[in-house]
Amino acid sequence: MSNSVISVISRFLDEYGTTTPNKLKVVDAYLLYILLTGALQFLYCLLVGTFPFNSFLSGFISCVGSFILAVCLRIQINPQNKGDFLSISPERAFADFLFAHTVLHLVVMNFIG
Amino acid sequence: MQVLALVEKYRSVLAVGRFLLTLALSGAQALTPSHYLSLSDVARLQNLLSQQFTDLESAYYSVVGLTKLGATVPDHEVRKTFVKSQLDSTSVDSLFFAAEISRAISGCEIPVSNETRDLLLAAVSEDSTMTQIHRAVSALSSLGLPLASQEVVGSLTARINKEDNVMAITMALQTASQLSQQAELGGILEEIEDLTARLDDLGGLYLQFEEGLEATAMFVTAAYSLSDHVDMEPPIKEDQVIQLVNSIFSKKSWDSLSEAFSVASAAAALSGNRFHVPVVVTAQVTSPSLSLSDSQLLVTDVISQPLDSANVVVESAYAVASKTAILNQAPFTINDGIFELNFMSSQPASGYYQFTIAVTGDSRLVANHVELKVKVSTEVAVTNMDLSVVDKDQSIGTKTTRVDYPSKAKSSFTADSHQNFAMSFQLVDVNTGVELTPHQTFVRLHNQKTGQEVVFVAEPDSKNLYKFELDTAERKSEFDSISGTYSLYLIVGDATLENPILWNVADVILKFVDEEAPATVQPKTLYVPKPEIQHLFREPEKKPPTVVSNTFTALILGRKITFTILFHLGHAAMLGLMYVYWTHLNMFQTLKYLAIIGGVTFLAGNRMLAQKAVKRYACQMRLAQMGPRESLMVERKPSPFPDNKDFSAVRPLGSSYLQT
Repeated sequence: MSNSVISVISRFLDEYGTTTPNKLKVVDAYLLYILLTGALQFLYCLLVGTFPFNSFLSGFISCVGSFILAVCLRIQINPQNKGDFLSISPERAFADFLFAHTVLHLVVMNFIG
Repeated sequence: MQVLALVEKYRSVLAVGRFLLTLALSGAQALTPSHYLSLSDVARLQNLLSQQFTDLESAYYSVVGLTKLGATVPDHEVRKTFVKSQLDSTSVDSLFFAAEISRAISGCEIPVSNETRDLLLAAVSEDSTMTQIHRAVSALSSLGLPLASQEVVGSLTARINKEDNVMAITMALQTASQLSQQAELGGILEEIEDLTARLDDLGGLYLQFEEGLEATAMFVTAAYSLSDHVDMEPPIKEDQVIQLVNSIFSKKSWDSLSEAFSVASAAAALSGNRFHVPVVVTAQVTSPSLSLSDSQLLVTDVISQPLDSANVVVESAYAVASKTAILNQAPFTINDGIFELNFMSSQPASGYYQFTIAVTGDSRLVANHVELKVKVSTEVAVTNMDLSVVDKDQSIGTKTTRVDYPSKAKSSFTADSHQNFAMSFQLVDVNTGVELTPHQTFVRLHNQKTGQEVVFVAEPDSKNLYKFELDTAERKSEFDSISGTYSLYLIVGDATLENPILWNVADVILKFVDEEAPATVQPKTLYVPKPEIQHLFREPEKKPPTVVSNTFTALILGRKITFTILFHLGHAAMLGLMYVYWTHLNMFQTLKYLAIIGGVTFLAGNRMLAQKAVKRYACQMRLAQMGPRESLMVERKPSPFPDNKDFSAVRPLGSSYLQT
């Protein structure tokens, strides 16, 4: 069991390292960073309290929103999904990502208080 | 201001009156001789002419010149023997000099032979020079030899036409004066008028020939000797005579014996002719310490010989200031060669007087109307000097202190800012007791400690009472607000005052309210160098900072990366705006700014990404043409130009298809 799990993981890492383009790896690292940020915020909330509740909320929403937008970007620029997004070039995807981010953070900043 | 009682009005009038009279010639209106030979000038001229002579010519100048001045010729015998030893009977010049000397000195006969006479007569012809004719005729005349006057006139007229210069014509005039009165001298007499027209006028004061002093002097001599000879008045106007006098006698040191001789001849001609005798009127020079009751005049001719026969009359005299006449037709009396007039008997007030004096008694007199400026001076006395300190609100009665000249007030006066210091006095003429208003009446305050002085002008009122009032509060700026003891001086002066007054009247202690630091009183240093003048270059025009200009230069040079940079900057600006929105702005302001920044960023980003896309497509096209196996990446990618159009359906952003 454990053997198969380890073999699956090792094969996964191997495949990831060899077949994923570098651009996608950067996006993955960004996603991991956002995930950790959101987890830290949640941990802080659990430990210290939610006193500036709107600040916590806006920070957490920022993390969640950023994560979702980054995932969308990742999907759209993945060469394997090329067939699904024929009318959307990677550049277009990036521009959409930035635009969505601007709107998101406008809201986040408004909410931060 | 208190009114002072005029007690002791003429208290200090002295018993003895003292007048001083100063006379000065003023030649402003009528032209009068400004140059003449004074007695010392005549003595110097005689001295020059008496010097030892070396030849017959200098002996001639000396002996004849001295004779013309009326002086005795020294060493008669020596000169006679010298003349006889030097005489050359074959030379016209030598004969001329000897003959003239023998005429001047008695007992100096020259032996005349037939040859001598023939020689002289032969010299009188048209072919000889003017000098030769003149000397020959003069020698013949002096030696008492007969000559044909009409022939001489003929040759003179011929020579004048040939030698048309001043010296030659002058000699012709002199020669003509030796000729017989029966000869026709009219033509030569006209030459005087012609020569007069040739005289140069210098500033209306001098009239002379450009040939020099000698020519001018000899012309005057010749003109008058010929005029006397024919007894006709020379055609020279009176003003011209005076101008000639000025130019001949303005030179007081003579270069040569001949020049001195010419001046002596002219002096003799001008003082002894029958038509024009210029009058020189001079005031008797007296020392100012002498008391005079008369005005004294010297009336002389040009060589300072008194004209005793003249009558001197003051035609009119008036005060310069008031234009009032004080004398009319008052004659001078002659007293030992000096003309005197008791002018003071008419009790004139001090000041300046203009006298018009006429010298008559002889029709020959020229410049016989003279204007004189006479100053009558007097002595002044200060009377009724009252000093007081007055309260401004007049609540306390004033106490005046009288001070007598020239003593000083015993106690000093104190004036603070609520008081005025007042001073009143009168200035009177010692002799007549009349109030005077001299030109200069000053009150001087001198700080004894700092040495600073302040001078005020004292003004007389309508009753000629001088009042001086010092408002301590008003005048403090002139004293630099320095309190202290000041010496009070009265200064009185005038050109007609014999005794100007500087009187330390009293000590005054002035107290000012706000005393400034004494540092400000230090005398200003006037002689420090001024600040150096630096050249100022033109300020350069204002330019934008170099960072901005360099940025724009870079943007223009690298247009390819321009949009990249702009995009990133815009993006950074948006992040910054987010922060600012959090800290400062509200939603509407933020949206406004965001629209601006976002617009720019959108355009820049659009261009940037389009460039990248074009590049990518071009790259993929190339790869596609090379063949599908040549690129590792292409294996996994679908063809950039898929034939299945169904896959182009747009999927929502949120749909998660994670493919690795």
